[in-house]
Amino acid sequence: MIVFDDISKFYGEVLGVNRVNLSIPPGITSLVGPNGSGKTTLMNLMTGLLQPSRGHIEVMGIPTTDPERLFRTIGYCSQFDNYPKGFTGYEFVYSFLRLFGMDHAECEKKAWASIDRVNLREAASRKIAGYSKGMRQRIKLAQSIAHDPKVLVLDEPMNGLDPLVRAETIALFRDLSSQGLHVILSSHVLHEVDIISDQVILMSGGYVIAEGKIQGVRGEIEDHPMQVMIHCNPAKALAARLFEQDYVVEVKIHADGGGLMVKTKNADSFFLMMNRLALEGLPIETVQPADDDVNSVYEYLIGNEEAAR
Amino acid sequence: MTGMWLKQVWAVFRLEIGKSFFSKRGLWIYLLALAPVLMFFGHGWVAKRDAARRSEYNQGETVSREQLHSLKRGMLKDQVMTRLPNPRSQRTVETKAGVREFLFYSSKEEDLTVRLLDGKVVGLQYRGECNLDRDKIMFGTVYQIFFLRLAVFFGCVFVFLNLFRGEILDKSLHYYFLAPVRREIVVLGKYLAGLVATCVIFSTSAALQLTVLYLHLPKTALDEYLAGTGWQDAFAYTGVAALACVGYGSVFLLAGMILRNPLIPAVSILLWESINSILPAVLRKASVIYYLKSMCPVEILSREDVPPVLAMLAVNVEPATPLVAIGGLCLVALCVVAVAAVYSRRMEINYAAE
Repeated sequence: MIVFDDISKFYGEVLGVNRVNLSIPPGITSLVGPNGSGKTTLMNLMTGLLQPSRGHIEVMGIPTTDPERLFRTIGYCSQFDNYPKGFTGYEFVYSFLRLFGMDHAECEKKAWASIDRVNLREAASRKIAGYSKGMRQRIKLAQSIAHDPKVLVLDEPMNGLDPLVRAETIALFRDLSSQGLHVILSSHVLHEVDIISDQVILMSGGYVIAEGKIQGVRGEIEDHPMQVMIHCNPAKALAARLFEQDYVVEVKIHADGGGLMVKTKNADSFFLMMNRLALEGLPIETVQPADDDVNSVYEYLIGNEEAAR
Repeated sequence: MTGMWLKQVWAVFRLEIGKSFFSKRGLWIYLLALAPVLMFFGHGWVAKRDAARRSEYNQGETVSREQLHSLKRGMLKDQVMTRLPNPRSQRTVETKAGVREFLFYSSKEEDLTVRLLDGKVVGLQYRGECNLDRDKIMFGTVYQIFFLRLAVFFGCVFVFLNLFRGEILDKSLHYYFLAPVRREIVVLGKYLAGLVATCVIFSTSAALQLTVLYLHLPKTALDEYLAGTGWQDAFAYTGVAALACVGYGSVFLLAGMILRNPLIPAVSILLWESINSILPAVLRKASVIYYLKSMCPVEILSREDVPPVLAMLAVNVEPATPLVAIGGLCLVALCVVAVAAVYSRRMEINYAAE
């Protein structure tokens, strides 16, 4: 179990998180909330990158003040998108493993195994500086799972991933979860949470305002169409296919013809269809939820909570 | 566990050593280290060229040293020409102040430039043959004033401040803080990497400076010097450069962890080190430069031909014994690194605040 016991964190006078009491069981747990709600702070506290102003955290019985033991148990794929300069993808993972005190052969074996798990072998010998956003996310993921942790903490792990890689990544999370791992991820995109999670922790303004199974949140999503930004050139062919779907509420083609803004009332079906279209060969470059409407749902939910408090 | 820690120190060291040596932003350190080498090389080359010229000029008619030194300021040109009728060359320039003339003489040992204004001697400038004593003083002065106080100092500022501050600004420090490594080990590994890099750069520079400086000396003089205190001096200078890296390195390592603006510690410490000579004895000992100066083999104060300001910077009243200087500096560095290690345990990754 991962236990947060009355945790508060203040940055000077600014509230990070306040009075958090949680016990997180194995499985996939999503921290959900709008930007600035305290998700990353909670994750950084969980991994000892921040020290709580008050309270105590234990991860599988290990206090977060003991990095030497903690990081043999935990893997953290952080939101920080910076790397030691000049590293290739392989060197990034390999050198990280060397810090564990492992010998060369073991590091090499584990590094390649984790790189293979995120399907990045071909790009592993290239400099990370030249990686796309999605590749960076994947190499970070490879780094965080390379030492076979029991707890995997992932901060916005789907950012920048294209539909196929997104599907593969979700499958990987499920696989890790089925092996008994704690997988804790943060997202401000509710539909992702819907697809992946066994349970959610809903955050707002530094407080945990709801936790538990996801069905309660899902009901709210269905009433609010979700906006998705798609980069696809030419966009017209894709738009035509999308118009045929009854769950697509609205499609707007960008002025430059290189993308679409789509509103859908069934995110599951929509993303499944996007995967299908990508496999059919439509030139879809990225699919990025532009979740303003989802945020509206949040604000609606959170507004109620705030009012109740 | 110790074996594991050693492996981890080595892993951190391996990651850091390349950055410390080959940072693109740090290429200027090599220029700083190379500058005195080039300067002494130039000095040696000019000295050799002058010696050759003097030798050639004085093959026939020889001007003696006594003749050159018999000239005085205020003499008229006729008096000069009576004593030394054949200048090697001369030049006349008409200026608003009057007619300026330059007469150039050479004996076997030195050159003299006589400056005249309207037919009256207003300046005598002797440039003597290079000799070991003069070169030693010159080297000692440049070493203490430029090399230790500026080149090594700012080299250490860059390398050691960047060990933590640079990574915080690059937002890459979490790479270490997410590994199962004690923070103290990260500090130690980084410090050792910075230390090896700066020691190699600046001790090599010191050794090269000495080499190119003494290359122009006659072989007999050089052999005699090396048979005497030559190797000892060379060891002392390269060692002092390394000790400077030990001392300054530890201070800037800690400063880079605690302070956001690297200019503040750099300027503050530079000022403190600069006014070291005018501080009371007790305070004087609370600086790195005091111990470094104590170990420099050449005493500059005793020389009359060193400008007073430079002499003041280089002087060391009541120098520490080598044992106290080396031991004290290493002990202080150890304490500062220990404080940095303890501080690192409280460090948080909060790049947004930077």
